[in-house]
Parts: sequence; structure tokens; C-alpha cells
Amino acid sequence: MSQRPSWQEPPTLAGQSTKGVTLGGVLLIVLVPLWIVVLTSLSTKGAINRAGGLVIWPDGITFEAYEEMLKGPTVRTALLVSLGITIIGTAISMVVSVLCAYGLSRSGSFGHRFILVLLIVTMFVSGGLIPTFLVVTGLGGYGQWWALILPGAVSVFNILILRSFYSSTAAELMDAARIDGASDWRILWSVILPTSRAVTAVIALFYAVGYWNSFFNVMLYMPTESEKWPLQYVLLTYVNRGVGMPGSVNAGFGMAHSQTAPLSLQMAVVVLTLVPLVIVYPFVQKHFRTGVLTGAIKG
Amino acid sequence: MNEGLTRRDRLRRDRSLLIMVAPAVVLLLIFSYAPMVGVITAFQYYDPLIGIWDSDWAGLDQFQQLFADSRFWHALSNTLYLSFVQLILFFPIPIVLAMLLNSVLSERVRNFVQSVVYLPHFFSWVLVITIFQQMLGGAGAFNQWLRSNDLATWDVMTNPDTFALLVTFQGVWKEAGWGIIVFLAALAAINPGLYEAAAADGAGPWRRMWHITLPGLRGVIVLMLVLRLGGALSVGFEQFLIQRDAVGHEAAEVLDTYAFYYGIATTNYSFGAAAGLFKSVISLLLIWGANKLAHSFGEDGLYRK
Amino acid sequence: MKPELNRRSFIGAAAMAPLLAACGGAPQQKQKVGTNTKTGLRAALPSYVPSTSVKADIASVTGSGGAVTEPAFLSYPSGGIATVQGVPGKGGSYTAVTPLWGTVPPANNSFYQAMNKALGATLTMKPADGNNYDTIVTPMAAAKKLPDWIQLPNWWNAKFGTDRLVGTQLADLTPYLAGDKVKKYPNLAAIPTGAWQACVWGDKLYGIPSFSTNFSVPGYITYRRDILEAKGITPDQVKSVEDYMNLGKELTDAKRGVWAFDDVYTYMGFAWDIPLKWKVEGGKLFHKYELPQLLEALDWHYKLAKSGYLHPDAIAGRNADSNARFYAGKVLISGGGAGGWHLADYESGVAADKNYRRGAFDYISHDGKSPGRMYMGEAARIISYLNINLKPEQIEECLAIANYLAAPYGSAEYTLINFGAEGVHHTMKDGVPTATEDGKKFVQASTFPFLASPPLVISNPGADQVTKDYAAWQAKNVNALIKPVFWNMNISMPQQISLLETSQAIDDAIKDCYHGKKTVAEVKDVIDSWKKSGADRLKGWMTENVLNKYGTGQ
Repeated sequence: MSQRPSWQEPPTLAGQSTKGVTLGGVLLIVLVPLWIVVLTSLSTKGAINRAGGLVIWPDGITFEAYEEMLKGPTVRTALLVSLGITIIGTAISMVVSVLCAYGLSRSGSFGHRFILVLLIVTMFVSGGLIPTFLVVTGLGGYGQWWALILPGAVSVFNILILRSFYSSTAAELMDAARIDGASDWRILWSVILPTSRAVTAVIALFYAVGYWNSFFNVMLYMPTESEKWPLQYVLLTYVNRGVGMPGSVNAGFGMAHSQTAPLSLQMAVVVLTLVPLVIVYPFVQKHFRTGVLTGAIKG
Repeated sequence: MNEGLTRRDRLRRDRSLLIMVAPAVVLLLIFSYAPMVGVITAFQYYDPLIGIWDSDWAGLDQFQQLFADSRFWHALSNTLYLSFVQLILFFPIPIVLAMLLNSVLSERVRNFVQSVVYLPHFFSWVLVITIFQQMLGGAGAFNQWLRSNDLATWDVMTNPDTFALLVTFQGVWKEAGWGIIVFLAALAAINPGLYEAAAADGAGPWRRMWHITLPGLRGVIVLMLVLRLGGALSVGFEQFLIQRDAVGHEAAEVLDTYAFYYGIATTNYSFGAAAGLFKSVISLLLIWGANKLAHSFGEDGLYRK
Repeated sequence: MKPELNRRSFIGAAAMAPLLAACGGAPQQKQKVGTNTKTGLRAALPSYVPSTSVKADIASVTGSGGAVTEPAFLSYPSGGIATVQGVPGKGGSYTAVTPLWGTVPPANNSFYQAMNKALGATLTMKPADGNNYDTIVTPMAAAKKLPDWIQLPNWWNAKFGTDRLVGTQLADLTPYLAGDKVKKYPNLAAIPTGAWQACVWGDKLYGIPSFSTNFSVPGYITYRRDILEAKGITPDQVKSVEDYMNLGKELTDAKRGVWAFDDVYTYMGFAWDIPLKWKVEGGKLFHKYELPQLLEALDWHYKLAKSGYLHPDAIAGRNADSNARFYAGKVLISGGGAGGWHLADYESGVAADKNYRRGAFDYISHDGKSPGRMYMGEAARIISYLNINLKPEQIEECLAIANYLAAPYGSAEYTLINFGAEGVHHTMKDGVPTATEDGKKFVQASTFPFLASPPLVISNPGADQVTKDYAAWQAKNVNALIKPVFWNMNISMPQQISLLETSQAIDDAIKDCYHGKKTVAEVKDVIDSWKKSGADRLKGWMTENVLNKYGTGQ
């Protein structure tokens, strides 16, 4: 199974075992909690209440939590909404960020230092929640899809990473292409993008995860439009059942259920959050192994 | 390369670059800069129902209160201390882990480890701390085992003295696997031909790491380091909010929780805004300093000098 | 470059416009501070005409301090009669926003449709996540975008700025409900006066109370009755805080993972006669922070935390899991919020341990010498408001709808609101309304009652023992309930004064103390610096603007 290149030394026993022990340890401290989470999501109410919390050893297994959640009539729409927001949002963010990163990658270009400062300031200075809300609603964003995407579409952090890759990995290629008379659009499209697939994949993943998990903008801009909620927000309402309700609220709420959500449900939400990532991640990971520059130089 | 060019020439030459930058700048102007009017509230007794234009002016009153509060200075020094501990104990781990993974020959092992270690990133802090409490807490699995063997118990979850180490360890557990991704991308960008040539020249694995791998990562490492220093006043929020009761409010108070509790949570919006503005200004100074430092070491930092 | 520049400045201006519009322009109403006058309050309050339509299985008991226990029902009344003739609505359309701690049902589902048909109006329910409700509503109010009908729970009054929203964004209901005018809406007239009192600001009535009760307590000390009874422990044996400490010793068995106590500070403090905020002694006003008994109580709790009888997770502040610890029998005595003793609690407990039974100790005084006491809370905490932009006839239509929603327990309306339509959303099984598949999917009982509801009753169809236990405990303790000063009085303060009323620093220090991390002396230091930093300003303001002008309200 090993694909050791001919120039590399054969592995030593000491080296291999050190690596093995380290990685084994890392795996263990990640997999044990994962096991606890998955097991709890599959446990019966009785098993959880007997454990008094998360379940470590199987005691009673049931799929009830998943059934309850996936049966909910809103979940299917919410899944589509989430996919839509994630795909459209990631596309917009990537176009804007890649363009911006490339546009700033040439040191000494017109205004590039000023624009960088303009960008970096936004990482640390914020006007606060209510002013932002007033701007977005003032532009008609209340209850609109774009309010979930545009206010957070630009991550300066991501742009800086992209920019750093662009300006360090391909400086010579860029200059060469420019001397050949290629336009910047052309250089970006046929030199930069093909040679920096790994970082593009990583940044796309960052954005996609951000959109997929985001709920704060939903809470602000469409807190009552339940038919427009993305999956994460719908799932949140399953988990948050009764959590923040002060105990001193009047007795009982009549027939209302003021108890907290079963732990199994909470853990099922965690598992459901992980599923799309487990599906998507291998496609991102694929790009890590291509020796990117070789392709460009040889081709 | 700018010698002899007028501003107009440079503008013409870089026109398409500026057009590329425009969409991002416009979005930031609307959604980041326009709301920055809100910074004014730090100089007011702001009431959201009355609005920014009609709230009473406070001058520097909020800042005077802020600077007179010993709890604020405590939160600040606590934040810097935690930031320092995290920088030393946390920052290098994803880099080491990425290099270690990259050196694993078996693709199957590498892929499996890679696709598992990043998962904790998606656990909420509530969940992470619940798991820690159930493992290491006073009634957790570890201490119950100690009790059943008549050994002295050791409640690390409520000990303020070791709290810095605890939160750093929690942070490593949750974020290190996710943090390696950027470095993996940087490793993928290193030309394998370089390794082959070095090996041919007789360089062993350690020398190759020193002369090829690390230089290949240097740009990203410096960038991340500069950003980390700029974010030195942000050590996390939720993680501390949740564990505030566990270790006592002194040990767990950081700038963000301070601004939250003494600002928004108590509807003292202007006071919170003042604390926020203080943090913004210091952060900008820090990142400016970090960038200068990078330049003085001959590195690019955020931009080339 | 010119066109681009123009576009940018245009976008900039467009973005700024809302800030200008939302923040300025409108004439500012000067905030009215103080509270209600006696005569003004009396004039604003609706008359009280109790409902007689359903007879309780366990009747209410009135206590010496004015508290009244909630009536209890063992089986759900069958064939409930309608209290509203015809449909209350006139075909209007309204949007209502309420907090919901639970799963949001799909919009426009068959339950909503059935309700709209019965109401004769289109009432679009828009429940929002209850846990973040304060974050959701605050910007809405700042942007002046409140819906037609909104629920503002009163524990967030300071956050919402309810005292400033009434009259500027929320409608005055006095002209429609004051005095005998309420008799037009008999179900609203059946809501006790105390609950309405919590809806009055500046001598005008603005809110409609839900879940009103005359047995309003913050909570009690609750325990595992099944386990303690097996050990021969009954509430009669617990007369003082010393008895509690002895129980701690008897019940804790850390090796088996059992601790006697979870956090009890919140509800135990009353044993030392610590009020929620204020106390008047000899005509002088005292804030709870400056009462010597606060330190006395903290001393006991500090000892408890150090004794090893308090569950380690409680010391770690993990309150979210406290129910799970209780069900698992890992703690036996706990602080219980008043909302926690019901059917769902019973079901959760029995799932863990089939013998599960909840009990509560009686209210005591700390030394066991004087009779036990407990300060009553507001008679209503869930209060809904109508938008000021509604026309008078629209307000009347909404009030008619509120009257429908406030139909008494067991009536035809109540059944529809809480269980949906019979045959579609629920069926009756052995006198228990049981949800059908559609009922489980669509009926969310905590939506409509958040706009208006009848007074609370105790009812747990299918778990009569819970009803009997809880009703018996209420009856036994009704005499311990006394009204605190400023009870049910809405006080409007200038912002800078209200910021002094609670101190995050002291509350933090108190918490650290009962978790055993700060000594009482350290708490005292924090309190002393609060006293120096403006406590007198707060007390002076309260004395001058509330106590001297309006009295204690008792």
C-alpha cells in the first residue's frame, strides 16, 4: 500500500512506531467522544436518564431521535434551503474572494496597501449588532434570502490566506505570463486557479461550512419565517426546547412542555451536522495530494 | 517595479486588478463600514429605542468608568495571559500534525486520520465541555474510578489555577484537527521535485524537512502568526462563558465575556461599545506591530513591505 | 471611474438612509419615570368576574397572605361547552409573534387553519426561538418593526425597554378594558386583578396577561420522594437549614455517585427572609445586597459547598443537566423552578426509574423558629401587547380573539387551542385527550396561549398522582406566601438608575461563594464597593420617586 518514491529512504522501525503511537493517540482522543455522541444519539430515554447524561456503554438502543427529527415536515424544506444557501453563498463568496485576493496579490499595484488596510480594519472594528441590523433592514433585507448571504459574504481572513498563496507560490509564473502579454483575467483563470487547487478547495470548504452552520443571521433577519429556515436553525429549535426558560415562569404553562429536549435528540443533531461534512470532505481532501506546480511546469 | 511610473500610469496598468477588488470592497463598505456609525454609541448613553441621533451624549464617561474598573484590567491581563499560553502550546500543534500526516506513506492511513481529526471542530462548545465534565469532572468517570479505589480525587474542571492549561487543551482538542487543513494545502503546493533533488544530493529526511518543508510553509505560518497576534485579545467567548461558573468568575473572565456581561447582558450598551472600541484599537495596534515585526525579519506578513 | 464612484456613493447613501430614518426624525417622547398611582391604577384595571363554568376536582384554597392555590383537575372534562357564541373575528388579518421553547410547527398547517376558522380571522402565528427571543425582539423594536400582536415576557422588560415601548409602539388598552368595559369580554374578565396589574404602566393598561396565577412562587426545594420516603424521611422532619445540612450527611454517598444536593441557593435564600430586590423596614428602604441576612445565608451555602454534600457538577455550574442528575438519582434534593412539576417531568423520571416520584419540602425559616415564608412573584409574567398602529376596530377584533383564547380550562375553545380538533388532531382515550399523528406534527400548544390564556390550573391527564401531590403541596404552603414590597408594580427608571439596580459583580461573587470559591468576607468587599459606587443614588431615587410617592403597594 505504501507509495514510497524511489528517492526516499526505507522507513525505520523507531520512526514508524513513533508516528504510529502519536497518530493512534490522536485518533483515540477524537474517536472516543465521537463514539459517546453517536451512542447517546441512539440511546433510549431510560438509558440516558440512568446514565444521568451522555451514555458511554450501550444500555438501550433506539432510532427514535432520528425518526422524530427527520419525520418533521419542515426538515425536508429546510435541507433544500440549507443546500441552496450554501451553494449560492459559497459561489458568491468564492468569486468575490478569489478576485479580490488576486487583485491584491501584486505588491506595488495601485492602492493595494490602502485597500488591504481597509479590509483588515473590518476584522477588528464592528459597529455592533443593532446598527448592522438597521443597515440590512433599511436596504429591505428583513425576511430576504440575501440577508443570510451578503452581510457575511466576505471573509477578510480567507482573502488574506488566498492572497498569501497567490503571491508566494506563483510569483514567477505570474510575471512570466504578464511578459507574454496575458491579461490579468487570463492569468488568474489559466495560471493561478489551476496551480492553487488545494487552497481554493480549502477556502471553499471554509465558506461552505460557514454558510451551512450559520444561524445568527437567520435569527436576526428571519426569526419568524419558519418556512424559510435552513436546517441548522430548525435543528436548533429541537435542541433548545425549554433550555433558556427561567424556572420561575408561571407554573406549568398549562399543557405546554417545558422540559428540556432529550439528550438523544441533541446528539442526533450533532451527528446530522457531521454527515454532510463526512460526505463532502473526501472531495476536498483529494486536492491535497496533487503536486500542483508539477502540472503547470510540465504542461 | 514602480519607478518612473506616474500615478495615472499605475492606475491604468492595474485597472483590471482594481475592478477585481471592487465587489469585495463594496460589500464591506455596505455591511461593515456603514454600521460602524455604531461606534459613536461608545460616547453616549445609548438607548436603541431612542436611536443613535437622539441618545444623550456621554463624552468620555463610559471610558472613564471602564478604565476605573479593576475588573476590566483583570479581564485584560487574563486575556493576554491566556493568549500567550495558547500561542506557545496551541499554535505549533497543527503545523506539526500536518507535517506528521504528510510524512505518512500509506494513503489509506493518511486519509482516514485526516477525515477524522477535523470532526471535533463541528462540536459546539457546550458539547465539548459536557464531554470533558463527564470524563474529568468531580463526578466524572475518572474521579469515580479514583473514588472506587479509595484514591484522592482531582477535579480539574473547577480548579482556577490550572484553568489556562485546561482551556488550551480543550482548544487543541476541538480545533487542532481543523487547523491543519490550511497547512496541508501549503504542503501540497511544495514541488515534489525539490525533495527528489535534495535526496539526490544526499540530504536526509530531517535536512529535507528543514530546508524544503519548513520554508514551503513559512509564508502561511507567518501570516497565521501575524493574524493570531492581531487577535490576541480574542481568546474565545463561549468556552469561557460556559465555564465561568465552574472555575469562578475571576479565572474565566476575558475581555469578550466582560464586555458581554457588563454591556449587552445588562443593557448597558454604551459601556459594552466602549469596551469593544478599546479592544478594536488595541487589536489594530497589535496587528500593525506584528506586521512590522514580520517585515523586520524579512517576511511578508500581511503584505510585502 | 466616475460612474463607479457614483454608484458607490449611491450605495453608501442608501445604506445610511435607514440609520437616519430609524434613529431620528420621529418626535421623542420624554420617558415617564416612577410607577402607577393608586387611583390611576384602580381606574385602569378591568373588573373581575370569575368564571363558574367548570368545577375543579380539588378546589382552590386562599391563604392568609392573599395567595390562592391553583384549582386542580383529575380527568379532562368531557364535552366541554363553548363560552363564545359564533366567531369572535370579523375577517381581519393579523400577525402575531410569540416566543416558543420547542419545535416550530409548519406554517399554515391544518391546526392553524382550524384555529383561524374558529376565530373568524386570519391570525398568522409566527413563533420565534424562545432562547434567543430577547436578541430577536430588541433590534425589531429599534427598527420599529413590531408585528400587530407581540408577546413580551416580563423578565425581559429591562432588555426590551417595555416601559418606553408602551405608548410609543404599543397600544393603550385602557379605553377598551378598564372597569366594566371588560365585561364585553367575559373570559378576559375572569382573569384575576393581580395579573392585570402587571400590565399597567403609568396608570394605563397595555398588556393582556397569560398563565395568570395567585400562587406565583419562584420555586421550592424539591426532592426524590420515592427514595427519601424509603429511608423514612418526610418533609415534616425538615424545619430548619440545620436539618437540611444533616440530611446532606445522611444522603450523600459519593462512592456510589450519589450526592444529597444540587444547587439550592436560588430558593433556599427565602428562608433567611431575603427578598427578590427590596425590603422596607421601619419605613426605610433596603436593597437585598445590603441586608445582613444575605451574608448569613451565603455562609451556610459556602459551608454546604465545602461539605462535600453538593454534587460536583453543581459546583461546576452545570445547571442544564440538573434534571438528568435528578432523574438518575445522582442528586436527591434540588432547587425546583415552579414550572417543573408536571406530566412531562413524571414521564421523564419514570423512564429512568419506575418508582420515580417528585416531592417538595415546605417553606421554612432558617432557624426553624418563626413560620416558613416565601415571597410571591408577579401574578403574570407572560404578557402580550397590540401594535399602536392598529385602528380601534382592529383592536376590538383582537380583544375578541383574546377573549376566545382565554376561554376557561375544559371549555370547547380550550380543547381546540390546546389539543386541536377532536378526531383530527386528538382523540379521547379514558378521559385523556391523546394526540393523533397529525396532532403530534401540527399542534403546538405553546403558541396561541402566549397571546391570552385563562388562569392556570393544575392538570396532568394520565398522571393524577402528580396533580394530587402538587395540589396538596400548594395547599399546605399557601399560608407561607406573602407579598413583597412593590409587588406587581411596574417601575420605570431612568436608564442610569436602573443600571445600578442589579450588580453583575455582586451576583458573580455570590455565585462564586455558594460554589465554595469565594469566602463571605470577599463577597462583602464587593458589596461594599457597590455601596460606594452609587447605591445611595439608587436608593435615593427609589425612596423619592416610588416609596414616598406611591408607597409599598401592600
